[in-house]
Amino acid sequence: MKRATTIKPTWCPGCGNFAILGAINQALDKLKLEPHQVTFVYDVGCSSNMADFAYAYGFHGLHGRALPAAAGIKLANFKLPVVAIIGDGGCYGEGLNHFVTLARGNHDILVISHNNYLYSLTTGQMSPTTKKGHQTPSTPEGSIEEPFNPLANAIINHATFVARGFAGNIPHLTNLLNQALNHKGFALLDVLQPCVTYNKDLTYDWYRKNIYDINKQGHDPKDKKKALELAYQTDKLPIGVFFQEQKPAYHEQVSNFSDTPLAQQDISNIDISSLL
Amino acid sequence: MNTSFNWKIAGAAGEGIKKAGLIFAKTCFKHGLSVHGYTEYPSLIRGGHNTFQIHASSADVVAPGFQLDVLVDIHGQAKDIHKAEITQQTVILADNLPLSDLVKQAGGSAKMKNMAALGASCFLLGLSLDKLNQTLAEVFAKKGDEIIQANHKVTQAGYNFAQKNFKNQAKPPIKANGENKDKVFLTGNQALSYGAIAGGMKLYAAYPMTPATSILHTLAAKAKSANITVRHAEDEIGTANMAIGAGFAGVRSMVATSGGGFSLMTEALGLAGITETPLVIVNVMRPGPASGMPTWSSQGDLLYVIHASQDEFPRIVLTPGDPQECFQLSKLAQNLAEKYQLPVIILTDKYLGESYFTINKPASKHQNQRYGLADTKTLKNDNPFPRYQDTDTGISPRSLPGQLGGVHLCNSYEHNQLGYATEDSAERIQQVNKRAKKIPQILKDPDFIKPILYGPKTASQTLISWGSNKSVVLQALKSLKSTNFIHFPLVWPFPAQAFQTLIKGSQKLITLECNSTAQLNQLITQQTGLQIKDKLLKYDGRPFFPEEIVSKLS
Repeated sequence: MKRATTIKPTWCPGCGNFAILGAINQALDKLKLEPHQVTFVYDVGCSSNMADFAYAYGFHGLHGRALPAAAGIKLANFKLPVVAIIGDGGCYGEGLNHFVTLARGNHDILVISHNNYLYSLTTGQMSPTTKKGHQTPSTPEGSIEEPFNPLANAIINHATFVARGFAGNIPHLTNLLNQALNHKGFALLDVLQPCVTYNKDLTYDWYRKNIYDINKQGHDPKDKKKALELAYQTDKLPIGVFFQEQKPAYHEQVSNFSDTPLAQQDISNIDISSLL
Repeated sequence: MNTSFNWKIAGAAGEGIKKAGLIFAKTCFKHGLSVHGYTEYPSLIRGGHNTFQIHASSADVVAPGFQLDVLVDIHGQAKDIHKAEITQQTVILADNLPLSDLVKQAGGSAKMKNMAALGASCFLLGLSLDKLNQTLAEVFAKKGDEIIQANHKVTQAGYNFAQKNFKNQAKPPIKANGENKDKVFLTGNQALSYGAIAGGMKLYAAYPMTPATSILHTLAAKAKSANITVRHAEDEIGTANMAIGAGFAGVRSMVATSGGGFSLMTEALGLAGITETPLVIVNVMRPGPASGMPTWSSQGDLLYVIHASQDEFPRIVLTPGDPQECFQLSKLAQNLAEKYQLPVIILTDKYLGESYFTINKPASKHQNQRYGLADTKTLKNDNPFPRYQDTDTGISPRSLPGQLGGVHLCNSYEHNQLGYATEDSAERIQQVNKRAKKIPQILKDPDFIKPILYGPKTASQTLISWGSNKSVVLQALKSLKSTNFIHFPLVWPFPAQAFQTLIKGSQKLITLECNSTAQLNQLITQQTGLQIKDKLLKYDGRPFFPEEIVSKLS
């Protein structure tokens, strides 16, 4: 299946984004989704430059605003799988209100957060997930804020699928993507993504030494309390499906929900007599 | 013979002023009168000073009247606050009407004081108590029979008291010309909401902001029967981006707010511009900047919405003058946004949005055409669809997500004809020019809304205005000699040619608007070179009253 445009990716050699895109393509192949059958919504950042490289329907929006656009597409046409490609800056910084609210509403979108713990497209300033004390061009004396916890926030804000993957383990990531794409409701897949250019601390090797697969260890994703406990762990980083539950999606709960998506409804003749 | 009356009820927030006013206005409407309702209230839930005033007439009435026939003063402060509106003929219902005693004697609760006042008002204005009670039963239908009966006893008590004590002050009743069968009584915000539905809007997203909130309330209440999706979203940034997402996926969408929310939507306005996605944004203006005066009226955002967002892209700005135009232009906005693939802004204000008007009932059945949707049946799924193909009109065919053969990228970055990001000089110039080509197309469109001349073709003075001043000026025109009026229901792209044709027969031009820097006046100069010295400006949060205009111009 054609998955790539003729434009050569502009990511740095060794960037985690290559692996994430590879895993996404494998997952789409596995689900036999053709390029016109999936819609990507891109934020603004290194990860979202994928817009030019991926061959599928795409909406390259504003920084921090990929999620509301994705939710709008889903409300317009719930038959489309909608995948938001976003970074830690856009998702947990500028767009945090959208992240929290759309999770609470269980909007049926898959959010793939490319978490490299920095703003890399703007040359490496601290991001919401940057560890306290980290020196960056915007925090030369070390960052003052405590880092944002994406998984814990997703869990307490009622996201119905919460997982973490690692860009250095493509088979595992592909498997998570498959599960996330099959999930109905708000899915967060936070991906640990090494930034080889600006983040010299969080390298592939560092991650390999410090991550472990919770599902292999028998974690039950139905166990919300345990999931939250795992999300709080920072000495070692758990990967896998933390939490999953089945609940009606937002679009199924709106008052005019029907089998025909809004985008396919006929507007050629509208009778407003009942309104007046 | 009297052909109209002005009635006003005033009291604190929480005393049921708006509810009583609305019930009385609907009662007048039931009599077959043409009715206008105007409300003033502070931004709080209890206390302060609230008013609802009614101008009712056997002839068409489209604006509030200044001098009152009846003032109902519930909290005892209205006599002083509204001194200027009181004449020797004004009947004031205050201490002379023992509301608390009447309610008590009728077995009602303290909340029903306003209803006793309505009973007394019915007698004073020669209106039918039965019709008041019918209206009351309709408005309180959900509250149940017991409460309705209790209220009926109170209205009766008020009526009886007035009959006994105010016989000499009663006004001669006004005879209506018809039964209002083909009319409706609604606000500009309601008309705009129904117009959007008629225009095929399927998704409405909003964050509450006065004075646009009643659009959200209206549409949310009608979501099921009108088969639309309404979402109260996290903030105005979310609403606008969500609506653009839905627009990209092929759904006609709308968002509404006031100036503050519009400011938050400004980046998304540019997003709709560069991605060429249909979007309708409503700005119901209030005085600002920042939090300003939330519950009052203003026309201070004209130049702002024409220029909002960085850089240049085409947009359309509609400025309806009354609920009829709110309906018509809201429907048109949905069609224009899709036809030209751009943002359409509808600019109204608190006065138009929240005042009640008697208008002809809009048609029941509405036809909509779909515009610009690409047929990709013959295309294969292996090449990007040229979403931003350069065309003679600047409008490129659009495929929708899910459509085979139409795969493309809709891009907020400057892009080439395929939608992919570009920084190439020639491609940048091509796309800027492509988007700009839409402007001359819009100006040539048979649906393009031109300025309208009211009154004689030639006159010694010509008033020029836009938006909600229309109805007020039309009311004033009846009392002005040799005066005509040009109304702009659309200000952008500026209809320079049509305007210049209209003023050929004019001697003295005067612009009138509710802002302090004469923004339409500036725009006319910018777009035509014409300088207009005379201007009438008001920016205290109140609309112009017809009497004010008459006294300044005669």
